[in-house]
This record gives sequence, structure tokens and C-alpha cells, in this order.
Amino acid sequence: MNDLMNAVVDIRDLHKTFVLHTIDGRSIEALRGVDLTVHGGEHVALAGSSGAGKSSLLKCVYRTYLPTAGSVLLTPRVGAAVDLVASSDAELAGLRGREVGYVSQFLRAEPRRGAFDIVTRAGVFRGMPRDEARDAAADALRRLNLDESLWDVHATVLSGGEKQRVNLAAGTISPPRLLLLDEPVSALDPANREAALALIADLTLQGVAVLSVFHDLDAMSRLATRVVLMRDGRIAHQGAPAHVLELLEGVAR
Amino acid sequence: MTLADVLPEASPTPSGGVPTSLPPLLDEHAKREIRRTILTAVAVPGYQVPFGSREMPVARGWGSGGLQVTLAVVGSGDTVKVIDQGDDAGVNAVNLRRLITASTGANESTVPEESTIIQSRHRIPEDELRSDHIVVLQVPVPEPLRGVERDQRELARMHAEADYAKMWVSLYEDKVRNGVITQTTGYPCLVDGRYVIATTPIPRWDIPRLHQAPFLTLFGAGREKRIYAVPPHTDVEPLTFTDVPFEVERTPGATCATCGSDRSFLVEVPAATGSRWVCSDSDWCRRRQKAQGHD
Amino acid sequence: MTEPNRPDWMLKVEGLGKIHGAPDRRSLHDTGPEHGTSKSRLTGSVVAAWNVSFEVAAGEALGVIGESGSGKSTVMRCIAGDQPATAGSVRLARVGDGATEILDLEPAARRRLRVDELAVVYQDPAEGLDLRVTAGGNVAERLTAAGWRHFGDIRSRASELLSRTEVPLERMDDLVATYSGGMRQRVQLAKALANRPPIVLLDEPTTGLDASVAAGVLDLIRNLLEELGLAAVVVSHDFRVIEMLTTRCIVMHHGRVVESGLTDQLLEDPHHPYSQRLVAAARS
Repeated sequence: MNDLMNAVVDIRDLHKTFVLHTIDGRSIEALRGVDLTVHGGEHVALAGSSGAGKSSLLKCVYRTYLPTAGSVLLTPRVGAAVDLVASSDAELAGLRGREVGYVSQFLRAEPRRGAFDIVTRAGVFRGMPRDEARDAAADALRRLNLDESLWDVHATVLSGGEKQRVNLAAGTISPPRLLLLDEPVSALDPANREAALALIADLTLQGVAVLSVFHDLDAMSRLATRVVLMRDGRIAHQGAPAHVLELLEGVAR
Repeated sequence: MTLADVLPEASPTPSGGVPTSLPPLLDEHAKREIRRTILTAVAVPGYQVPFGSREMPVARGWGSGGLQVTLAVVGSGDTVKVIDQGDDAGVNAVNLRRLITASTGANESTVPEESTIIQSRHRIPEDELRSDHIVVLQVPVPEPLRGVERDQRELARMHAEADYAKMWVSLYEDKVRNGVITQTTGYPCLVDGRYVIATTPIPRWDIPRLHQAPFLTLFGAGREKRIYAVPPHTDVEPLTFTDVPFEVERTPGATCATCGSDRSFLVEVPAATGSRWVCSDSDWCRRRQKAQGHD
Repeated sequence: MTEPNRPDWMLKVEGLGKIHGAPDRRSLHDTGPEHGTSKSRLTGSVVAAWNVSFEVAAGEALGVIGESGSGKSTVMRCIAGDQPATAGSVRLARVGDGATEILDLEPAARRRLRVDELAVVYQDPAEGLDLRVTAGGNVAERLTAAGWRHFGDIRSRASELLSRTEVPLERMDDLVATYSGGMRQRVQLAKALANRPPIVLLDEPTTGLDASVAAGVLDLIRNLLEELGLAAVVVSHDFRVIEMLTTRCIVMHHGRVVESGLTDQLLEDPHHPYSQRLVAAARS
């Protein structure tokens, strides 16, 4: 199962320490040596209390955080494996979008564009012909129950839940090889949540490697092929969802 | 030299006539300098060559530049025609002609065919001119870009780099504002594909005459201290957009009240009732009239 | 597909420096972030910028962030040719296949680059526009400088550009002096893009505009950058501008580059103490 030949991302001994010069140079260790491999068609969910390092790990893989030590070996669709930690900014900018995608909680820095436009552009950015991207965008938005009347409205006036669905659609259209999901359904009501989870489940079927953070245990248990429990910047346990979640619930009580 | 010497009409001599000779108005040194300037101007068509403009017995702005150019090129064997607005008999033209002939011994005429040098404030004569003709134009403002740029250094740079973008913008703005390019006198032209010149003082009508002309045209600006030239057989193209044809002045249906011509440059003059059109080139009109047997 | 001799960057800046006053190397020793000043006490010279290097590829926007006095505008002006540089190298991929040293070119040659190789959008639109000329006329100026001579074509292209930058066409023949600040910036953008330059430098493109007007102009810039595949350098003190428009950026302080990285990484994980202060201040 853990056939390294199919590994999409191979995280080795990853460390991240923040040095806060604005607060007397205090340092905060967010990751203290993480080893993790995700293969195509796997959905690895990160679990743990807040501060355990879950989001930090995602951001280190995407290189929004610059790891202090360790490596993140990405095997792209074409070409040799590349260490995202050691890559130049230009190389990384190129890899993002095509090979690695990140769906954050926040709809950030979008100009006043409509949802349809945002999702279409995301598709075009990943290499889809414009017409195909338009069709895929329409499909995704419909699937996520975003009413057509909202498609051309400036995304900034959408509600939290609507924005999150736009984010998800844009992040998953013409999906990259590795998808990082950071609380992608936190603002959705039950009905919309169902649709979103179904869309995410499909990605796994398509062979996308997914690394996610959900605080919603139910979502985690339904989607994840493996759950990784983090504590204090390290991996404490990993295994089948049912097994790890039992552990979690035991800890929580 | 006194004013009486220069303007004999102002104070008649005992004989009532005009002085037949004056001391030269330019010394040999000045003539040589101006000729060198002219040669430079001819060597670099359209380039405004600065020169040390001398004090002349005509006020600045009244043809002192043209006068200096003529005095530098004229010899006793030359015949000089001087016109002002196409008319040999205008006060200014008469004075200049007298100054030139009296101080150099050159002959005078009103007929281009008999002349060798033609000094003009506003027209090129209607007659076909020959390769031995020199046309000397009196220029008040030699700088074609004066309307779009004030700074001297920037003007020099624009000519040096053939950066005439501002000129084109002003033509664009003119066409947008007025539907046509409205400049009448001083229309900017590109000489030999390189320098843009101001064609003051001639009207648009005369501009096509400059293009590939057999004669030499010299432009003298006394107050601004510049001389420029269009050598014979040189391209002179009025600046215009490729889809906006250059048009000359034309009043449909107008003919000269004196000679009947409809293919010469006509000007409107007051008449007994209202106004009428007559040829600007008065000598040409007179000869034409004579040939037709009118009087 | 890249041609064999063409570099993969559109603009490459190496070791760019500008010293005001005597270009004395001793000035470098007591200036910079560690010394808290750009002015050398030893020589009296001001090291406005020193040792600035970066590359920008087609379709990419690079941010230069800093407060006033950081040297960011100096860098832009040296690349644009508005100011002579003291040291360093600037190369454009389309000029001599990237081998020509732009800083060594004659001023006339550098001016010619501004026709269709390198465009600049200034913070003050009055610097990039002639206010006494119409909006269409300002664009026409660039087109005629590039050799356009057909009035209909000039007008048509000017209309196309102004319409693309959302300037109402019925105002195309109004003098730019009658336009508001935001509209003037749009005209400046249209003019900058007239001859399809591959590289655009933007200096504080929305500073000084009202918030809602600035938002519209920023949107427009972002759309244009994406659609036209331009290589852009965006100079700003405003993180929102940098965040919206750029993928990578450099941080300048007292004339030196203190940090560089992916824009999102700089905003969420700044390393240099000065960068952290700047980001913290922007976030509050």
C-alpha cells in the first residue's frame, strides 16, 4: 500500500520554528520533525488540538511557511521529484497551481470578480481551455448549490459559506496532483456540507493526493483513507480513521 | 547713415529722387559668416542653423533675416524681386528692394523670369521657377514645435532625436477638435525625411511647390537668429495622417476679378460693394491680364 | 517554447545601486538597515539603493515593498531611465536577447525603449500624462512615437485601450486635466499599454486615490496583468496592493533588500525583523 513509487509527496523530518523579533526574539516551534507520505488516491486527514501543527504542516508543504529544516519531496506529473523546501521562489510559483493546490479558509485578495469568473480563471490557470473551464466551473458551482444568480455578483459580498464554496470550486477545478485543504467546509450548513464532501470524495477517486485539516470529525471519518494525529508539532499516531478517531475521542473525554 | 538715407520717402532729397547707392549693409566678414551658415543649412536640409544676426535698417520682425540672407548671396550681376503678400508694390517690399539694389548694385525686377533672387514675406510666385532661382523667405518664427514645447533644450533634443511625437499629438488634437487639420500658415513639413520645419510664411497653397523643386529655398529668421534651407530636388512632405489628405486653400467658384484665373492663390479684397477675389501674385495677374488684351 | 538564445526572464536586475553625492564606496559601510540610515556620516552621500537584484518572467508580477525612503522608487526610476544608476546591471530579454547592458545605453536609446519595450505607470498621473492634452491624445502620443500615421487606426486603438481601462469613451476627447484622480490613472494605464510593452513598472499605482476608486483601479491592473501576460514590477508600501498583484516580492529598508520570497510567504512568515514589523503594522 505504501508503495513509495506512487508517493506524490514525501515529507521528511520537517521542522518549523518561528522567531518573533517583534516580541523579544521569542521562538515558537510549530513542527518538530514530521515524516509523512501521501500517495495518489489517498486522503490523509490531520487531526489534533489547536496548536498541534496541523495548519502549519499544510502551509509548510505549500511553502507559505518556509520550513526551518527537512524536506518536502514532490513528485510532479512530469519530471523528477523536487524538494519544495529547497526550490527557488520562481520554481515554486510555477509548481503551485499545476502540481500543488491549497484551499484555505479565507477568500483572500480577490478583486471584485464574480464567482463564475474566479472559478473559470482557476481552471484556465491550470491549463484548461477557456470553454472547458467555463463548463467545469458551471458544473462545480451547481454541484455545490451556489445559485446562478450569485455567479456574477462580486465575490466579496457573498456570505462566508458562499465564499467557502467558491474557494472549494476554484481549488478543485482541474485538480492538481496534490491538494491541501484547510478547513474547507467549516462555514457550510449541513446540506451544502454534504455536497462539498461528495465533491472532495470524488477527488480521491480521481487519484488526487489530498492532505487535509478538518475540525469536523464526521467529515474526517467519511473522507479520510488515513488519519494522522498530531501533538506538539509531531505525529503522535497514524492509521485507519476509525482507529485513530477512537483514540481522539478517548483523549477528548 | 541717417534715417533720411534709408527712407528717402520720409525726407525727399532736393532732386526728389532716391539715392542710387548706399554703403554695403553687411561687411565681408558678416557675409562670409552668413554664407557659411547657408552652406551648413543646405548640407543639412531643414536643420535650423544658428547665426549671428546683425542689426539691419529694418526692424526685427520685418524681414531682417531674409534681408541678411539675400545680402549674403547677391552679387552685382543678380536681379532681385521682392514681394510682400505676393505684391511687389507693398511699402515693405519697396523699401527692402531699394536697400538691396542701392547697397549692392544689383538690378531689380517684378518679373520672376527676369530675376535670379526672389525675396518674399508671404508667397512663392505663381510662375515656374528655374534651377538658377533662389527663393529667400522671411520667417518670423522658425521653430515648428513652438506651440507644443517651450524649453530650448528640450526643443533641441526633439529635433536631434527626430522625436516629433508632440507635433503629431497636436495634429491629432486639431483633427479631433476641428474635424480637419486647421493650421494655415506655418504648416509643419518634413524635409528630406529628417527635420520638421515651419513653413511660415508661405500659405498651404505654396507648400507643394517646395517638394522636389528645381530651385533653392532659403529661410531667414533675423529676430530668432536662424537660417534653414530646402535644397533643390528635396522631399518636402507636409505632416499629416495617411488617411487625412493635405489640402490647400480653395474657395469653390472663386475667380480673379482682374484676370479671371481660378488656378492661382486668390485673396479677398474690399471692393466698391462688399469684397472680391483677386490674385495674390499681382505681377503674375498683371501679365496675364495684358496677355489677354484687357486693360 | 523558448528560442535557444532567449533567457527565461523578461527583466533582470543585478547589483543595482544609486548613490546621491560622491559615489564613494566608504558610504556603504555606515549605511543600511544595521545602521538605521541611508546617509553616510563619513562621506555625506546618500546610498538610496544598493545591491538590488531580481528577475521577472513574463506573466509574473514582482513586488517591491518598503516605506518611504526605502529606495524602492529609486530602483524603479533607475530601471525606467528617469535617473542614472551608480552601479549594477539591467537587462531586458527583448533587447539584444538579454545581453545588452541597458544602463550603458545613450539617453536617446533608453528613451526609445520607453516606446514599446518598457512602460511606466507613475504614482502621480501628471508625471506620465500631459494634462493639457485629451485622453485620446495622450494615447496617440505613444502610438505616433511608435510610427503610427493613420488617424483612423490611431483613434481606433486609443478607443480600444481606453475602453479596456474603463474610461468612458464619450470622454475620450476631454482634456485629462478635467479627469478625477482615478480616471487619470486609468488613462495612464491605457497609455502605458499602447504599444504592447512586455514589461510594466508600476510605482504606487493607487496611492492617493480614495479607497473605493483604488479598489477599482487595482482590480483593473490585476486583470490586465493576467490577460496580457506582462512582466510587472509593482512598487508599493501598501501590502494589500502587493498581495493582490504579486506572486513574489522583495522588502527594502534604508536602500537595501532585507528579505525576498513568495508574497504569501512574506506576509505570513516574514523572517527579517524589519519585515516582521512591517507586516505586523499592516495587519493591525
